[in-house]
Amino acid sequence: MAEEAPEDGGTRTLPSLRRLSRALPFGRTHGRLGASSSGRPVVSALCSQESVDPQKTAFLLRKAWTLYSVTPLYRFRRARLRDYARLLSAFIAAERHRGLAVAVGAEMDIAVRLSSLAELRGTDLDQAALLVQLSSRSRASSRSSEDKPVWSGWFCSMFGDDLSENIPEDFTSLPLFLSHGAESYTALVGSWFQKTFDCCFRRLAISPQNLSWMVAMWAGCGLDTAASAVELVFSVPRLAQPLDIFYAIHPEDAKALWDTVQKTPGEITQEEVDVFMDCLYAHFHRHFKIHLSAAKLVKVSTAIASAHCDGIVKILHSQYLPGVLMLLTELAISQIQ
Amino acid sequence: MDATVSEFIRRTVLKIPRDEIKVMLQKWGFLSEAQLQTLNFHQLKDNISQEVVQLCEENSAGIKQAAVLDIIYNHIYQDKRIWSVYQMKKTGEELECFDITDFKKKFKRRIRSALKNVTITFKEYEDNAIWIRVAWGTPYKKPNQYKPSYVVYHSQTPYVFISASVLKSNMPLLCQALIVASNYHDIREMELRSHSLNSLKDIVFKRYSQNFQTYTTKPLQGGNVEPENADIRIVQENRGEKERIYRLNQEAFGSGPQPKLEFAHYRLETMFKSDPKMDVLDKKEPFRCLVKFSSPHLLESLKSLAPAAIEEKSVCCVVIPISGNHRIF
Repeated sequence: MAEEAPEDGGTRTLPSLRRLSRALPFGRTHGRLGASSSGRPVVSALCSQESVDPQKTAFLLRKAWTLYSVTPLYRFRRARLRDYARLLSAFIAAERHRGLAVAVGAEMDIAVRLSSLAELRGTDLDQAALLVQLSSRSRASSRSSEDKPVWSGWFCSMFGDDLSENIPEDFTSLPLFLSHGAESYTALVGSWFQKTFDCCFRRLAISPQNLSWMVAMWAGCGLDTAASAVELVFSVPRLAQPLDIFYAIHPEDAKALWDTVQKTPGEITQEEVDVFMDCLYAHFHRHFKIHLSAAKLVKVSTAIASAHCDGIVKILHSQYLPGVLMLLTELAISQIQ
Repeated sequence: MDATVSEFIRRTVLKIPRDEIKVMLQKWGFLSEAQLQTLNFHQLKDNISQEVVQLCEENSAGIKQAAVLDIIYNHIYQDKRIWSVYQMKKTGEELECFDITDFKKKFKRRIRSALKNVTITFKEYEDNAIWIRVAWGTPYKKPNQYKPSYVVYHSQTPYVFISASVLKSNMPLLCQALIVASNYHDIREMELRSHSLNSLKDIVFKRYSQNFQTYTTKPLQGGNVEPENADIRIVQENRGEKERIYRLNQEAFGSGPQPKLEFAHYRLETMFKSDPKMDVLDKKEPFRCLVKFSSPHLLESLKSLAPAAIEEKSVCCVVIPISGNHRIF
């Protein structure tokens, strides 16, 4: 049974009561239940003290990950990771033989490794993250130490337990998938998972509204080390000559602005995000007489992470990794529902 | 003839489009008309360039002559390079007569005092532009002819246009040599960059028809907003609004073609002011921002923002101080 994700969130199921008490989904606070702007308790989660072991998660940082939402996997067994790796490897070899796959040299094999990352989860109700690594191995040597990594992807659920609460027994919920490496490998791995576990991958686009949330939240996080600027990139596409506008704000000033905007401790509301963005737009308009609100926000970047509307993120700090993943998990879940 | 020189000439000729080769060689003037007649321009470019090299060998071409050919190529195809604008400053008001020989001598001396392995070539053009080509080496290596820097200097102005080589470490030396040779005492980069050298010149020498400050007493007719509709029953919606936008645009941008800018950077260090009702930031220090606009044709793009905005129901009037000071305080 493959769940077809609806195009638009209009027919989303009602949020569970537990979720309502925590917050309405990311950015969708004009709740159909009449509750206005409930906040997200993001601040405490983002600035979590119990950070994940930096050693194990170093590979996640400073890479551009392409995001997908994944519907729950049917009959996925954690104990069978070795088998799956073998099957996936055979699948890839077969596809290459058919000439469908990537131009790795003829003397190279693709070695597949699946592993679990128990630390990458929000609560015990979350599934542990699942990492898939493809490396090229020269046929001349069979020592795995000489493998060269060519692609990696991982499934993750960070505080995504609301979704997993509602799903039947045989399903495993890992709604967020991140890939790094050639698109052709992503397609291969994706199609194997889809065939084997009857799930559905969809690229996760990030709307300008969600990007605004991200930049507001991340701009407000304090960092010990010198932070890089808070950057917003806008595009005005429908002109004869397309125009890109890059608006960077000194991180201390952006944080100072956010600190005065954010009133409710431990929580962030849609209103606060709107005010923050309106302030930035107004400051810009004062100088250039251009309404940035009429342009399309395509990318945001802070010292913590950067995100692009095509669903590409880069996480820069391990301290905030759980918080960022939590946001992305929620986005993925919204897309699935 | 030096092998590096013949290879350099060969590669330079290969870059030239086939129909332009003869004209460019004539401009170069190093090969005689008789020699040029012997060239067959209807063969593969590879072969043409080999023949040219052979003729150059007959004339004992050296690196100096090859460098001049390179300048000629880059002068014609100047839009292939990215140019930045620098402004030089004098302390006093003394008007000195510009002496080209003195300039060249001082420039070469300053550069060679720091770096022996350089090739420096000058060419003057009719519009009073002095083109300078510098190929850079190191204390141990001969100059790299394939990554030169270009400078265009109009001697009656304090502006130089530089297309730097990728070997960026030579910029300070280049700037130093320029101010020493031209008797200025300081040089700073302006926030203007483009592929179109002429557009940069238009902007910096104020040769285009932007007229913020002037008030046109004769109101522009609200014409040319849309092509005339044959059917008079079709009435333009919002025609009044469209005409107003058109007029504002004309006042801001002028009616001529826009200089072709690709990037514009602004550093903002103004105070943050907000609606007092919003009860937000009220710091005493400036709100520091950096804004960059980029587009294949920036000014056309900005010009079309306002008319396009009609559809978006939000009107954008663009006021961009393109020339002059770019630090907004």
